[in-house]
Amino acid sequence: MTIKRIQSTCAYCGAGCQIMFTVDTEKNKILEAEPAPGRTNDGTLCLKGHYGWDYLNDPQILSKRLTKPMIRKGGKGSPLEEVEWDEAVRYTAGRLAEIKAKHGPNSIMCTGSARGSGNEANYVMQKFARVTIGTNNVDHCARI
Amino acid sequence: MLCIGCRTCMIGCVVAHEGKHIFEVDPDGYDFHPKLKVIKTFNVSVPVQCKHCEAPACMAACKSDAIHIVNGTVIIRTEKCIGCKSCAEACPFGAIQMVTLGSARNADGAPRSVANKCDLCQDQPKGPACLRVCPTAALRLVKEEDLGQTLKNKRLATLGLALGAEAQKQAAIGA
Amino acid sequence: MSMGVHEIEDAALLFVFGYNGADSHPIVARRIVRAKQKGAKIICCDPRRIETARIADMHLQLKGGTNLLLVNALANVIIEEGLCDDDFIEKHSTGFEEFKEVIKKYTPEGVAERTEISAGEIRKAARMYAQSGRSMILYGMGVCQFGQAVDVVKGLANLAIMTGNFGRPAVGIGPVRGQNNVQGACDMGALPNVYPGYQSVTVPAIREKFEKAWGVKLSDQPGITLTNVPHHVLHEPDPKKRIHAYYIMGEDPAQSDPDLAEVRESLEKCDFVILQDIYMNKTGQYADVILPATGWCEHDAVYSCCDRGFQKARKLIEPTGDVKRDWEIIGLISKAMGRPMEYTNTVQIWNEVIDLCPGFMGATDEKLEKNACIQWPCRSKEEHDMGTVFLHKDGKFAHPDGKAKFAPSEWRPPQELENEEYPLSFSTVREVGHYSVRTMSGNCRTLRNLEDEPGWIQMNPEDCGELGLRHGELVKVRSKRGYCITRCLPTERVKKGATYMTYQWWIGACNELTIGNLDPISKTPEYKYCACRVEKIEDQAWAEKHVREEYEEIRANMGIQTKGGRAA
Repeated sequence: MTIKRIQSTCAYCGAGCQIMFTVDTEKNKILEAEPAPGRTNDGTLCLKGHYGWDYLNDPQILSKRLTKPMIRKGGKGSPLEEVEWDEAVRYTAGRLAEIKAKHGPNSIMCTGSARGSGNEANYVMQKFARVTIGTNNVDHCARI
Repeated sequence: MLCIGCRTCMIGCVVAHEGKHIFEVDPDGYDFHPKLKVIKTFNVSVPVQCKHCEAPACMAACKSDAIHIVNGTVIIRTEKCIGCKSCAEACPFGAIQMVTLGSARNADGAPRSVANKCDLCQDQPKGPACLRVCPTAALRLVKEEDLGQTLKNKRLATLGLALGAEAQKQAAIGA
Repeated sequence: MSMGVHEIEDAALLFVFGYNGADSHPIVARRIVRAKQKGAKIICCDPRRIETARIADMHLQLKGGTNLLLVNALANVIIEEGLCDDDFIEKHSTGFEEFKEVIKKYTPEGVAERTEISAGEIRKAARMYAQSGRSMILYGMGVCQFGQAVDVVKGLANLAIMTGNFGRPAVGIGPVRGQNNVQGACDMGALPNVYPGYQSVTVPAIREKFEKAWGVKLSDQPGITLTNVPHHVLHEPDPKKRIHAYYIMGEDPAQSDPDLAEVRESLEKCDFVILQDIYMNKTGQYADVILPATGWCEHDAVYSCCDRGFQKARKLIEPTGDVKRDWEIIGLISKAMGRPMEYTNTVQIWNEVIDLCPGFMGATDEKLEKNACIQWPCRSKEEHDMGTVFLHKDGKFAHPDGKAKFAPSEWRPPQELENEEYPLSFSTVREVGHYSVRTMSGNCRTLRNLEDEPGWIQMNPEDCGELGLRHGELVKVRSKRGYCITRCLPTERVKKGATYMTYQWWIGACNELTIGNLDPISKTPEYKYCACRVEKIEDQAWAEKHVREEYEEIRANMGIQTKGGRAA
């Protein structure tokens, strides 16, 4: 068993608590989350900080972890079919380019994410909307 | 005053008693029976749990000799519990709850119901889990010497003796 | 937040308005408790008897939807009783005279009936706030999620300006932001009107800077907000303004947005919907393509917490499945559209970000790697600059003249009030053990054990009595827009006539009820007020069975092999 201790930031609310994780790198599993001395949390955590990492184990409770790109090949209402990344990327890019050509860049809306994705992903998403699509139609769920 | 009703203690309790394997098993394959319960009224939020009485009413009421005092801690021996509910009725604090075990069955195959209450995490080397996980340090283990000090503080505070503002405030919060 | 969370416990007075820290941020609530222990006075304004109200010196249990009446009346008292910090107003603000004109008519006596707070209490609260010497305002969604939200935020800021409670330690106003990286998504310019670092898309010099950095001509026209998407798909008369494609990353509008029936219709009718996420969710049911991404703990990232603090979230484990990092997926699509965006790691992206944003410039990866929490603005890469704990030091504000501006507003009521058919008011609130749309917390075993479908509706015991409802019984909650089934929770912490539901539940999906009335400036929906009625279900056995079956159906739709019959 190879045990590592790694400090990270909680992804459950805006408090930004620091968590010390114990990870079994061989089994690729988190073993425990303990409070770390962050500026805000000062060595404390709430229930989500203590126990909120379990979703990574995909315990099949509410919904299934997405593990493969999928496309509704038969159009709206048809079942989602698993595809390789190449096909998913080509299809997505193709449809976006087609809609942009037909209706203009402002017919496309993009969202960032206020959750686990992180700042870098949000930066890249807004850059994609502004540079690749050519619109300022980018927002996220700050309002909800 | 310190409790914010978040119930981190209730999960901490289950994880301590069931063991960390619960994060690996079937989500329905373990018992989620916290041994303390946070209650909320208009003016109070507080975890209710066993007070580990000197002369436990539950122990006196137990028909199957399942309740004992071990090192000052009142313990229910689940294997001896017959599920008669007498202890739950007898407890003046409502600190005992009847729970159904997923793992055990009665002779007729029906799920087995037993009495469940705080055991002060007697098997945990680091002490009671609820204390460790509570974010506001609302729970504390009161030892005999602490009680003596608390009582002394309160008596002095009531007398209005010049204790210094801090000690008086402490006494007020403790009340 | 203009201050740091750690400063909360050093305030002399906390004025907590529409913010329930205990349920939304327990670790921030802990600082409120500590403030109390350290002798701070607390005034809590909330229609519910929330945890903060319990320990408060004053609980102003106002009627929902009357926020601005109360805030303006507090300002009125502070002016009338001469409790203003005249020196601060004189040196650091503009517009006070006009402000006084508007505020004049909001007397405590005049608003007492509507707010359900006595004039005496309003006067007492105003005096306490103005005279503590170090007053801090904390507010939350109980302010922001109304059709009149921005005006109330400005109203709270007015209180802080007129009493000089800005620019010193342990004062100011703090919107305690909900989600872990909602501050970060804003910081990074995932907003229709600003580039990263709050740099406006309509200012030519700024646009030119980004055009130069990104090597492309940029649009000078602000985009639309998320909450306006249904309108732009379904009802926009100008074909040029219609939305035809919706690229959704890490969000679930089919669960989180108001008036879900309309959201579902817009997702059905939108030509092309992309969902990029970690778990299957309700929006996924309408997506034309699904792109699986890595989640928290599976990738490196910088998050911004509610008090402007940049911190590192680290990769702990390898993701399972054929998934990619969000920025990697976007980069691949961009490349396939003819515009390569080839980053190889997050540090590379972060360096690009801070070089484009003067306020973030000093938050280098090197500093963050040492587990620092750097609160922006942090302008220098030098080691000594570790950010800014509180804003507006020495009374300097962001307006061009460096002064704070008084912004008076007139109160207006919520759009949909209680009526004969729907006699109760309805508001959404937070569940402490669950998060947002619940795809993360709902898939954590112990959090699920603590609270699960179909959730609860909090009601005053008297209202429950009139309807013959008991604790735990399943009820139908209905508004003009839809209904859901949930359990009845009688509690004295709720005023008669008001009801509350947490918005995490998929069966007890309260956004079936909520109204899409948006604040004109922030475009935030009025989640905190609409009219509803609660209906008793006579056949409880049927209702329990219905909930169980619906849960199984949801799970099956979400790709889970169900065993059937699991108790909800």
